[in-house]
Amino acid sequence: MGDNIYLPQLARVSYIKEEVAGERAIKTFRLEFAEGEGFEHECGQCAMLSIFGKGEAMISIASAPHVKTYKQFSIMRVGRVTSAFHELSVGDVVGIRGPYGNSFPVHDWRGKNLIFIGGGCGLAPIWPVIQTAVAQREHFRDITVFYGGRSPRDIMYQAELEKLRGAADVHLSVDKAEEGWNAYCGFVPANLMDKEPSPENAIAITCGPPIMIKFVIQNLRSLGFRDEQIYTTIENKMKCGLGKCGRCNVGKDYVCVKGPVYSWDVLKDLPAEY
Amino acid sequence: MELILEKGRLDDWIAALEGWQAFAPSQEDEVWGYRPTASPVRLDHPNTVQPPKNFAFPQREVFFRFEQVKGEPPRLTPVEPDAARNVVFGVRPCDGRGVVRMDTVFSDHVEDSFYLGRRKNLAYVGLACLKPASRHCFCKSVGGSPVSTEGLDVLMTDLGDCWLLASATPVGETLMQAAGALLTEPSAEQRMELARRHEEALARPQKSAVADVGNAATRLKDNFDSPLWEELGKACIACGICTYLCPTCHCFDLNDEVSGGKPLRGGRVRTWDSCQFPDFTMHSSGHNPRDSLGSRLRQRVSHKFRYFVENFGTPQCTGCGRCVSQCPVGIDIVNVVNRVCASV
Repeated sequence: MGDNIYLPQLARVSYIKEEVAGERAIKTFRLEFAEGEGFEHECGQCAMLSIFGKGEAMISIASAPHVKTYKQFSIMRVGRVTSAFHELSVGDVVGIRGPYGNSFPVHDWRGKNLIFIGGGCGLAPIWPVIQTAVAQREHFRDITVFYGGRSPRDIMYQAELEKLRGAADVHLSVDKAEEGWNAYCGFVPANLMDKEPSPENAIAITCGPPIMIKFVIQNLRSLGFRDEQIYTTIENKMKCGLGKCGRCNVGKDYVCVKGPVYSWDVLKDLPAEY
Repeated sequence: MELILEKGRLDDWIAALEGWQAFAPSQEDEVWGYRPTASPVRLDHPNTVQPPKNFAFPQREVFFRFEQVKGEPPRLTPVEPDAARNVVFGVRPCDGRGVVRMDTVFSDHVEDSFYLGRRKNLAYVGLACLKPASRHCFCKSVGGSPVSTEGLDVLMTDLGDCWLLASATPVGETLMQAAGALLTEPSAEQRMELARRHEEALARPQKSAVADVGNAATRLKDNFDSPLWEELGKACIACGICTYLCPTCHCFDLNDEVSGGKPLRGGRVRTWDSCQFPDFTMHSSGHNPRDSLGSRLRQRVSHKFRYFVENFGTPQCTGCGRCVSQCPVGIDIVNVVNRVCASV
């Protein structure tokens, strides 16, 4: 007993970038700890962000663990807290506590080909893994990134994705053809089948809308990927992040503690809804 | 430590507990509940409407306060849990067991300083149920006992003209020592009478029983997709009373309560929540993984009889029967468990 586990630390917004505009707007925020020690995190972990007077929201940490000066979050405007985030300016101070949840076993994947498959704002949770793999490029074999949005305007991290080229094969897609779009047209799972990555010595990491994940996993299986070669994340409504408030469980496990990262090998045995 | 307290001296013992605020069941507007003791304390209550869980886990509590002048950083002021030493009398063994379940939840993974801060200053003086405290009791069928000391610091047993007090923890001994000369050594006859009454209580059948608690976790897993869940849950009006009155339900919400606008003032507040509320698990997107009455009934029952067993090796339900007796539409957790577990 001792610490107030619900008390956030204060962090200053040091950078804001509008990734996607419109109804499903996404902004990227960098938060620097304003006081105290801050915390370290691992790829895939989340943090509970506060705007005082509005409340808290659990958001995936989108920066790599080796980035020490800030924590990055890409936040879609959906509810009360995320909408309040979209009103913030650089210099504003918010609350942050964490890190919460498990992480991608990136270290165990050394020597392997990594295939990332993201859709929509689902690029953010796997972005730290991509950044880590690129930063430790010599430890990994081929790095391939599939990423798609509804339209070219829905592609987040555009400049960063371009920077990846060279270190990684980047295959972008949009759902519907549009003038000026030279990459793949069609859904992410279809782009995956179009490129047919080999399951040989590979790990596939996918994150995105549930319907996309479903078909990505189907397609990976048909390409010969075994369940234990496939990793994804799940999200649920969370309030505490500490396995106590009782709402994010899938079966006996709280996603905030045992998740959000699951291998398909484990996840396939859990009920689809819970 | 086993000692005798004459029936007329209970108030004197309570008065001797210096530094402790004492609570005991009393009746107001026909509602039995734990309230500050008022002489005479009789301990002749049926099951209280609410369990004593609010002493360590209040229905509403503030974790910290915030104040923010527009354009300036917020100032946070942490709140410490109330350090009052409370002793609660008349706690039934099912509720004592409920305390242990709550201790598990708030100590597991990371310790909750608010719950545990109150808990370390709390003592529970239990009352053996020589007769079932309500017709909905089913403690025995979920591994409990009407004379158990689990979660209790002292267990009191009614011997007719006196109580026999048995300490179960060092805190219980301290409480009993504070009584000084009020407590006397039991005679051989009184010890025999205690044993006789406990045996009788253990042998007395309860009207309600979970049929096979040992296999419930497995059967509930097998029947996760049973159509019975929707059938049994369809009467639910999502009032949440089953969870609010449950000695082991711990689900909570966290919200910011704003008390002033300029500067912004408020607090982050924990309040009890309920898995039976439709928006409990609803995502901001509107997607809800538990979007039906049956799926929410399944969650409540599975948490009590499957998930808690899988995590901690024991059912979470302690068989107090409150969710059965107080449900406005007659949903009976014992019936639900038995029906689902028996289905093929």
